[in-house]
Amino acid sequence: MNEDVTLAKWLNDEMNDRELKDFMAQPEYATYSKIKEFSGQLTVPQANMDALYQNITQKRNKSNQPKVRKLNPWMPRVAAILILALGATFFFYTTKTTTQLAAAGDRDTFLLPDNSEVVLNAGSQAEYKAFNWGSNRKLELNGEAYFKVAKGKTFDVITKWGTVTVVGTQFNVRARNGRLDVTCFEGKVKVTNGKETVFLTPGKTVAYDNGTKLNLPDVKANKPGWMNYETYFGKVRLREVLNEIERQYKVTIKLDTNVQNRFNGTIPMNNIDNALDQIILVYHLQAKKEGNTITLSAE
Amino acid sequence: MKQEQPTGICEELTFSGFFKSHAKALRNFLYYKFGNEEQADEATQEAFIKLWENCASVPPEKAKSFLYTVANNTTLNHIAHKKVVLEYSKKNVNHDTNNQSPEFLMEEDQFKVKLQNAIANLSKAQRSAFLLHRIDGKKYHEIAEILGIGVKAVEKRIHGALLQLRKEIDTFR
Repeated sequence: MNEDVTLAKWLNDEMNDRELKDFMAQPEYATYSKIKEFSGQLTVPQANMDALYQNITQKRNKSNQPKVRKLNPWMPRVAAILILALGATFFFYTTKTTTQLAAAGDRDTFLLPDNSEVVLNAGSQAEYKAFNWGSNRKLELNGEAYFKVAKGKTFDVITKWGTVTVVGTQFNVRARNGRLDVTCFEGKVKVTNGKETVFLTPGKTVAYDNGTKLNLPDVKANKPGWMNYETYFGKVRLREVLNEIERQYKVTIKLDTNVQNRFNGTIPMNNIDNALDQIILVYHLQAKKEGNTITLSAE
Repeated sequence: MKQEQPTGICEELTFSGFFKSHAKALRNFLYYKFGNEEQADEATQEAFIKLWENCASVPPEKAKSFLYTVANNTTLNHIAHKKVVLEYSKKNVNHDTNNQSPEFLMEEDQFKVKLQNAIANLSKAQRSAFLLHRIDGKKYHEIAEILGIGVKAVEKRIHGALLQLRKEIDTFR
């Protein structure tokens, strides 16, 4: 009886006359007949199909669908985000400060947007805004740097102890611990120190130590000595000379004696023993080395 | 962004027309399975929403089978089955109008109740096939399409359903 589907055939009016006659002769026929009749009268409790359709249209529009009209509510948001992002980018770009740093024992050469060249000496830092550089050439310097400025509008080097203004030239600025040294190597350099303005021609140096102007000899070289690791010190306090040696060689120097005389001369910056020998000879000191710490004391 | 004219099922009119011609049968089918109107409504909605979401990839001639495939899959998530409650239509009673005896009418009412209970006791598979034929007037091949089975299997289910109904009714005669 597994494959018997006669009842299904009957229900679907597929029986031929003979089959039907046989089937009707069976005692179960009466019940089957009634089942057929009454099951045909059955109904399903009906739903409100319109409401159902409303639900569907509402829900389907909530889900992410490839309906163009559904993207529209997002357009203003996307636009707003884009504008904000653009505004923020512009803001950051215009106010962005570029910082160049040369750590102790290190030097850093970099180009400004107009291809002006800056060489930072060890332990120095320069900051500038690249935006609109062409019409606003301004750089803040803490430490020492040599500049080869491309021709153009005025170029300002701002230090804590004075401002150096040039048009297109080569010059060195050293701004450390209350002292400002500016040496001109080419062109003309204007140095402004609060009350006073000085113009430098090639070879001339101006120096202010805590506001006091110092007279220094002319420089014959065409670029600062430190670029060749021969740093010239003109009337510099010994402590400051030692600070420079510390920066160049990445060491710590202790000075255990009181020295008043300023240092005048050139110190090699690629051989620490030679550098220390110079100091020891001039000031009659003795040096003791322990790791990275050097102690200088009276002979 | 390209604005494409919606075509096929994605078109509002096609979609609503498709809903009108198929939603009721789908809902009935789901009701035969669950015996629960809310779940039948819910599953009907879900199936149509799924269809709408996939309207671009479902060609109109495949939409119906897509609908029932989704519906058949959703049914797996539902557990709360209830007894299928069916009613007899009142207007449809085409009795021979020669006055029947009260005994006969009472017997008929009793039979109707027994039939209702027997249908409720059928297996889901048998009940769905049987009622799709009896209530929705679906042909066997249509039922086969809806249930995703062959025509032969439909006939077996119908046959089994009739056998089962008859046994149950005659046992409690």
